[in-house]
Amino acid sequence: MPRVNAIGELSTLQERLRAGRANGETILTVCGGTGCQASRSGAVIDAVRAELERQGLSDSVKLRITGCQGFCEQGPIMVIDPSNVFYCHIEPEDVGEIVARSVQGDEVIERLLYTDPATGKKVRTEAEIPFYRAQDRVLLSKNRQIDPCSIEDYFAIDGYSALAKVLTEYAPEAVITEVSASGLRGRGGGGFPTGRKWADCRGASGDEKYVVCNADEGDPGAYMDRSVLEGDPHAVLEGMSIGAWAVGAERGYVYVRKEYPLAVEHTRTAITQAREYGLLGENILGSGFNFDVEVARGGGAFVCGESTALMASIEGKVGEPRPKDVHTVEDGLWHRPTTLNNVETWANIPSIIQNGAAWFASKGTEGSRGTKIFALTGQVRNTGLVEVAMGTPLRKIIFDIGGGAANGRGIKAVQTGGPSGGCLPAELFDLAVDFETLAQAGSMVGSGGMVVMDEKTCMVDVAKYFLAFLLDESCGKCVPCRLGIDRMLEIVTDITEGRGRPEQLPLLEELAETVRETSLCALGKTAPNPVVSTLRYFREEYMAHITEKRCPAGVCRALIEYVIDEERCTGCGVCLRACPHGAISGAKKEPHVIDPLTCRKCGICAEGCAFEAITIHSQGVPCYSM
Amino acid sequence: MLQYVTLTIDGAKVRSPKGTSVLDAAVHAGICIPHLCHTPDLSDIGACRLCIVEHVKNGQSTITASCTLLVEEGMVIRANSDRVRKLRRNVAELLVTEAPNSRAIQDIALRCGVKEPRYPFRNNDCVLCGRCVRTCTELYRAHAIGFVGRGKDRRVEYAFGVRPDSCLLCRACILVCPMSIPPCDGYMKPGEERFCGKCESQLQVPQYEDGDCTRCDLGLHFGCARHR
Repeated sequence: MPRVNAIGELSTLQERLRAGRANGETILTVCGGTGCQASRSGAVIDAVRAELERQGLSDSVKLRITGCQGFCEQGPIMVIDPSNVFYCHIEPEDVGEIVARSVQGDEVIERLLYTDPATGKKVRTEAEIPFYRAQDRVLLSKNRQIDPCSIEDYFAIDGYSALAKVLTEYAPEAVITEVSASGLRGRGGGGFPTGRKWADCRGASGDEKYVVCNADEGDPGAYMDRSVLEGDPHAVLEGMSIGAWAVGAERGYVYVRKEYPLAVEHTRTAITQAREYGLLGENILGSGFNFDVEVARGGGAFVCGESTALMASIEGKVGEPRPKDVHTVEDGLWHRPTTLNNVETWANIPSIIQNGAAWFASKGTEGSRGTKIFALTGQVRNTGLVEVAMGTPLRKIIFDIGGGAANGRGIKAVQTGGPSGGCLPAELFDLAVDFETLAQAGSMVGSGGMVVMDEKTCMVDVAKYFLAFLLDESCGKCVPCRLGIDRMLEIVTDITEGRGRPEQLPLLEELAETVRETSLCALGKTAPNPVVSTLRYFREEYMAHITEKRCPAGVCRALIEYVIDEERCTGCGVCLRACPHGAISGAKKEPHVIDPLTCRKCGICAEGCAFEAITIHSQGVPCYSM
Repeated sequence: MLQYVTLTIDGAKVRSPKGTSVLDAAVHAGICIPHLCHTPDLSDIGACRLCIVEHVKNGQSTITASCTLLVEEGMVIRANSDRVRKLRRNVAELLVTEAPNSRAIQDIALRCGVKEPRYPFRNNDCVLCGRCVRTCTELYRAHAIGFVGRGKDRRVEYAFGVRPDSCLLCRACILVCPMSIPPCDGYMKPGEERFCGKCESQLQVPQYEDGDCTRCDLGLHFGCARHR
């Protein structure tokens, strides 16, 4: 591969690759993101390869395996260019037909098209799908256009032009001014203005500086950073190079957790390719600017997503946070000034430079500019990655893009921001999603996880889940986090198991305040959020658990019982055979009975009942039915 | 030459050399800030969170540990405000219910105003203050013990559970351990979970002013910087 030694050479190369792309060749784009791989896109890709080989089309038809395209619910996804047909839920068996009819022929296979749930009609292209139509995809749209393992693909969509532009036209200070003007704020959770961070780091004194990319995403239900790094690693590298130029760093680290093997692999490939082209290393594009990036793999500790713990981990020490009275921009990695940004923040930088700060600032709200990727999961019809402008109402994300509840039940709450965020009730779905609004409501944008919960979710149980998660992931260094979360979990467990006392709620709130105020790092400082927000919006559920010993959602096992409705039960005996504990008895064609003493409340009987005769009761009151 | 800065702690002007922590400056000036993991001559890790203070800056006050906060010119610190004392009491309550079998920790809890702990007692042996680890690592350079595990599983141990040759059984780690002095009544028996340590812990000054160092003898047991 030729080294690109000057800006002119880069634009010639881009021109050539773009021309090669424009000639209307047939491209099969198959999503190879983690979501689609889970629904067997690997087998589909193998089948496509084999089929193209068999038909002798390997040379004329290009197969492009991309990173996540967002609509994970419908995976595996395939788009056929130039006709732009969008197929979903593809099985390996369908591949023969696709190649024969849609590639060699010009037909559209109705069966594989997406059905618009609102109209019931089949739609042909991505642009017509409501899930995509309501979004503003800046970062994610690139995922579809490139093979993450091919730097040439990235060149063809103007890749590394922003770096070239910066190296020729911008002084480091000008880059910082531009990023500040764009209003970009950290996408990792805190929302710290990126421009200010860079300016502080540039101003800090030190012989050596570092830039770090935080890809230690660990929130339950969040996978934005993973998908950006897997699908478009060069954008992150380009952003880091620009950042390094701006703050005066010559070394960078991408800290990826080891649970993301594909992200590690793609980043490493991207680094190798960028080095071969001379876009990383010494004298980049003949400008005299030196910068190189290394991948640091995390061991999978959630706390290592915290900046100081992450730096300790890169240094080879135990991943524990240290006090941040002196900020990491002055005293970071190896006690040198360090700029640490999230994957999504870095990936936004090239487009800000390319399109200008005004373009970026035109999206979003006054305090929160640009677009943000959210991972929409939980009890929602269209799960997947969603990119919208900041300030989009929750309702639009959950109902217009997400398609509403997955199973016809009402949506009760949405949990934003992962374990550090909070649960917002359905009454607040008109809130705009930006940093300030969500923080005021007791939650946060966080890294962008969005878990939708329906009426069958017990909010006390949700609080318990997140406390257990955080207790597991707390590093254990400081007392409030280690012992405080433990005591909170103890109280919440008491409540879910029917031992709750009314005076425990004020204690829980006081403890939450103590943990929030006194913990050492951001993990502890935000750990009480799930408890505080559920207490704020769903206090009556806590009270039902405490005073009536009743779980309204029918989740907390100690407080519920399974009951067979005599009128509905036909005595078919399915539940009797399914029960692993032998708790169900009854003669054939007679209504069956569950023995409450033997019943372990596993719920297997209710799942198998075709007549919906088995319901959950709590203190004699029926809960939301199965 | 030493450079001095002047800061305000609880309304008192305190002059202190640059590079000193707020905790050291306060204790030196006779302002009591309870602390556990801080030990003279060792580095500070900010783990016990007992020495929290309010740092007033630009009209906003943030809670932070004073052992890791370095003095700055014109700094305003509130070490014994109602807010701080309430939070400190809650932290001490967490500590003492976790490990009540230590006179030092009982004394600290009483000093911080814990009267009736609201959580069940646990009777653990270690509060992970890390004094032993830092003594072994920093003072004796033996690196024999360290923290193992994460969260609830965190504990102090030899590497891989085997005593290395560098451990000379000098017992320095035991000398600094706040758990090494049992309460006067001896260890708690199940069902008799209450505080002892009253003889030492009755603060000598009946109505002490907030922020005054009471010159209590408590410090002797948990190594208050005044008693070095």
